[in-house]
Amino acid sequence: MKNKLIDKYDKIFMKSFKVKKEKLKKLKYESVPQWDSVGHMSMIGLLEEVFNITLEMDDIIDFSSYEYGKKILKKYKIKI
Amino acid sequence: MKKKTLNSLELLDYQPNRYPFLMIDYVTKVIPGKMANGYKNFTNNEWFFPIHFSGHPNVPGALQLEALAQMLTIAITTLPGNKGKVTHAISHTVKFKREILPGEKLEIETKVLSWKRGLCKGLGKGIVDGEIACEAEMTITIPEILDQYIPKKK
Repeated sequence: MKNKLIDKYDKIFMKSFKVKKEKLKKLKYESVPQWDSVGHMSMIGLLEEVFNITLEMDDIIDFSSYEYGKKILKKYKIKI
Repeated sequence: MKKKTLNSLELLDYQPNRYPFLMIDYVTKVIPGKMANGYKNFTNNEWFFPIHFSGHPNVPGALQLEALAQMLTIAITTLPGNKGKVTHAISHTVKFKREILPGEKLEIETKVLSWKRGLCKGLGKGIVDGEIACEAEMTITIPEILDQYIPKKK
């Protein structure tokens, strides 16, 4: 189950920001041109759709990196 | 917003563009957050016809797209709390299929595909005489709302 979740999580970032899997660990807001304000909202929308959750405003603002995003999702019982 | 149509003066409350860049004349139907339809009449008096082009006046494609985007904006700015807010274009993909000439009326139909946290994705279609003249996929934003949700620079 856990492996499937990480695959889904990774795919969201790879699709949203056009990056390869090996670059994900260091991926942060504005570290690639695609992760700008619009890219951020598209990625958040995709996360909500795939994991069937609604993120709170503070969590959307704090969702500033691939790694930190995993911690935020724990609040929503998505353990990656 | 209860009213379902907006005349040429009323629409100014929901659309910040002004002459010579206001590209919609009338909103015939709006369902806030869902759709907005209306039209723009192009007369010989339009500022761009003498220069686009001399001897062969037709409506510039960029302004056709602008008309679609301005109508889509109406579908969003009529939502509670959005009246008078400034919108920006993010990305548009457009196809032009027919020239629009002086004296013709552009019927505009727009539909909101998604609206969330200041970001709107939508479709627009411009019709002249029953023929599609232009159609576009558009993404527009209300920066004042979108900016509230983006990570803060540390």
